[in-house]
Amino acid sequence: MDGPLNDGLPSLVAAAHELKSPLALIRQLSLMLEDNDLAASERKHMLHQISLTSERALRLTSDLTQSVRLSDALFTLEPINPQQLCEDIVRELMPLFAAHNRDFRLLTRKHPLLLVANRDLLRRIIMNFSDNALHYAESNTAVEIQIGLLNGGKVVRLSVRDYGPALSCDVFESLRGRLIKASTPIHARPQSSGLGLHIASQFADAMNGKIGVTRHRDGSTFYVDLQASQQLSLL
Amino acid sequence: MNSASILIVEDDKWLAEQYSRVLLMAGYKIKVTSHALEAIRVIDDIHPDAIILDVLLTGSTAFTLLHELQSYGDTGVIPIILCTNLATELSLEDLAPYGVKRILDKAKMNPGDLEVALRSVLL
Repeated sequence: MDGPLNDGLPSLVAAAHELKSPLALIRQLSLMLEDNDLAASERKHMLHQISLTSERALRLTSDLTQSVRLSDALFTLEPINPQQLCEDIVRELMPLFAAHNRDFRLLTRKHPLLLVANRDLLRRIIMNFSDNALHYAESNTAVEIQIGLLNGGKVVRLSVRDYGPALSCDVFESLRGRLIKASTPIHARPQSSGLGLHIASQFADAMNGKIGVTRHRDGSTFYVDLQASQQLSLL
Repeated sequence: MNSASILIVEDDKWLAEQYSRVLLMAGYKIKVTSHALEAIRVIDDIHPDAIILDVLLTGSTAFTLLHELQSYGDTGVIPIILCTNLATELSLEDLAPYGVKRILDKAKMNPGDLEVALRSVLL
């Protein structure tokens, strides 16, 4: 069945395509594990890959469920410390990055910031960007999360920077155009259905924010802009 | 024991590792690359006996590589096995002129299918 799940939501085909790769890998590794000739260390290594790949696929299914619920649920927006949230994400995803020979770090800020967001949705957006960066970055490079202020302190930008092949001009222009108004899945990479970025865009929209991309000679930065909280300035 | 050299072009690092695992156990010499453009350089260097190729790669897709290989007499004859999630949408008949000898569906193949396919194209 090809068609929208709901207004502006990704198609079942996109969801199926995105899940096919991790499931195919899990299946291949599982079948291989039935072979008794493998060394214990190799089996352990493969089981670790199965576990991390399963978690990645489960995150996607969970994001998909959440995106379908966006239209009929109210999400509480509250002041959030993005530094703390990003530290948690780095801690959670570090094993996945390490298993791919990539570093993952948060560039810390001297002065804390607060932004207005829904904790769960914001977490999903950054996890999504990070997952995208993991698969786009070259081996032995670092993916970096950065937190910054824009528009005289009214907007907080959370960015995820990868170091890999630069996006070609046509892909970049197409991607930037689609990020402005994401009514269809957004293709950041040819092998991707673009479902992850599409969902991230919807989540940002639900928090009155927006996502975007910057192209570099040696990689890309995906970012989400959200309203800064004035709570700290009131203290 | 087989000593043919095989180039794996696959941008999923762990899947490439799985293919390598299977083929190394079968005695093949393996080289892995994740991009079509890098694959062209590697093919010039090592002249593999066969190529295992994913279709949707980061950057240029497999079709760029297929076109490039057909541009030269020596690379145009290298047998290619496509391993893809798009197997149901591709036709071996259409791709045979580009050196594609087998199409394996990633979602259905068994680990041993890769070696069987290689043996058949290296005969």
